[in-house]
Amino acid sequence: MVKFGIEFVPREPHWKIIYYAIQAERGGFSNLWITDHFNNRNVYVTLTAAAIYTNKITFGPGVTNPYMVNPVFTAQALASLNELAPGRVALGMGAGDKTTLESVGVAMQKPLTAVSEAIEIFRKITSGEAVVYKGEVFSTAGAKFLFKPRSRIPVYVGAQGPKMLEMAGRIGDGVLINACHPKDVEYAVTCVKEGVRQAHKKLEDVDVAAYTSFSVHEDIKKATKAAVPVVAFIVAGSPPQLLERHGIDVKKAEEIKEALKANDWGKAFSGVTPEMVSAFSVCGTPDTCTERIAELLKLGISQFVVGSPIGANIRAAITLISEKIVPRFKA
Amino acid sequence: MDYPKLIATVPAAKWPELVDALIDAILTTKKDDKMPPNLANTILHEWQLDTLETEEGLIALLEASVLLEPEKTLATADALQLVEVAQEIKPLIPPKPPQPS
Repeated sequence: MVKFGIEFVPREPHWKIIYYAIQAERGGFSNLWITDHFNNRNVYVTLTAAAIYTNKITFGPGVTNPYMVNPVFTAQALASLNELAPGRVALGMGAGDKTTLESVGVAMQKPLTAVSEAIEIFRKITSGEAVVYKGEVFSTAGAKFLFKPRSRIPVYVGAQGPKMLEMAGRIGDGVLINACHPKDVEYAVTCVKEGVRQAHKKLEDVDVAAYTSFSVHEDIKKATKAAVPVVAFIVAGSPPQLLERHGIDVKKAEEIKEALKANDWGKAFSGVTPEMVSAFSVCGTPDTCTERIAELLKLGISQFVVGSPIGANIRAAITLISEKIVPRFKA
Repeated sequence: MDYPKLIATVPAAKWPELVDALIDAILTTKKDDKMPPNLANTILHEWQLDTLETEEGLIALLEASVLLEPEKTLATADALQLVEVAQEIKPLIPPKPPQPS
């Protein structure tokens, strides 16, 4: 049975996010993911509030990276959260966002190796081991917690490129695929399957999550209006080959990028076409969103994550999803 | 403002609509920094217990809504014909600057 996850960005204060998290938990969502960027509020403060105010939803950073925070500190944070909410914590770990890392002078060196090594250290230290590790990016010399960590914490790998997706299938308990369109998800799942095959696992052993930009409203125009700003940023950050795969004019994407750089929101957002919205978001009425989710499920998705913007009014959108979408997949 | 006294004037039949409007005002506000942390915690606690639609819950919501969005709160009070609530909020609304002719 498919699981539903929800993502929030702690640019919003914790009290808004936690209000929505409680609402989502009651509405049938099973996972809560909080993004981790230094320029927003701290992810673990929001997650601590989630641990206190929710009862059954699984939560974690979605996703953190090993460059900004050493994996032993990520492990410490997750192990501590796992004491507040035993068995409800999950780690989302990816390579991070190059632009953000560069803005603080951190180089994204050997992303595959860094993520792989960070996960290995994370798993060892959260299982109570004294970790002696000599990797290419990270090393530890007997690092050990002075407290006894609780249950094993599942690790989801945030992935977009083929090699990271393959590695996610190989080493992850789950994978957070940054894609919305069936074409992209199909390709991603193929890569994950290859990793799963290499590790002699089954695809069912890995929670394959589509991490989507999502917008729902009974009025499709309102759903689209909410999605457009997010789509503009995705288009601006997408490589040409991805745009071409969806038949999107690279020149138009470049124009949007330039307009965003110049803070000319009107020009940037008016440049977003219906093809772009379709390629980079799941957007529409509850019926059209349900159809798209069903399509993704057929491709091997086991968790559907609704991410920014969620809807023009987030509370109303969560109600719509809970009442008109989730029940169709729980029956 | 005596919030418990004000909430006591609201007929129970209007509680669901009032709760809905106040939550909407609070969650859609851009004036996040005006929310006192203890009040935010009270609201989350009441929401966790699913008791926002009680006297205690309404008191916290009304206080937060008045602090964050007095105009919207007044509009809600007017729409629901909550005369006493509207009377208390009105003085908090700064007068609109005169329109250029």
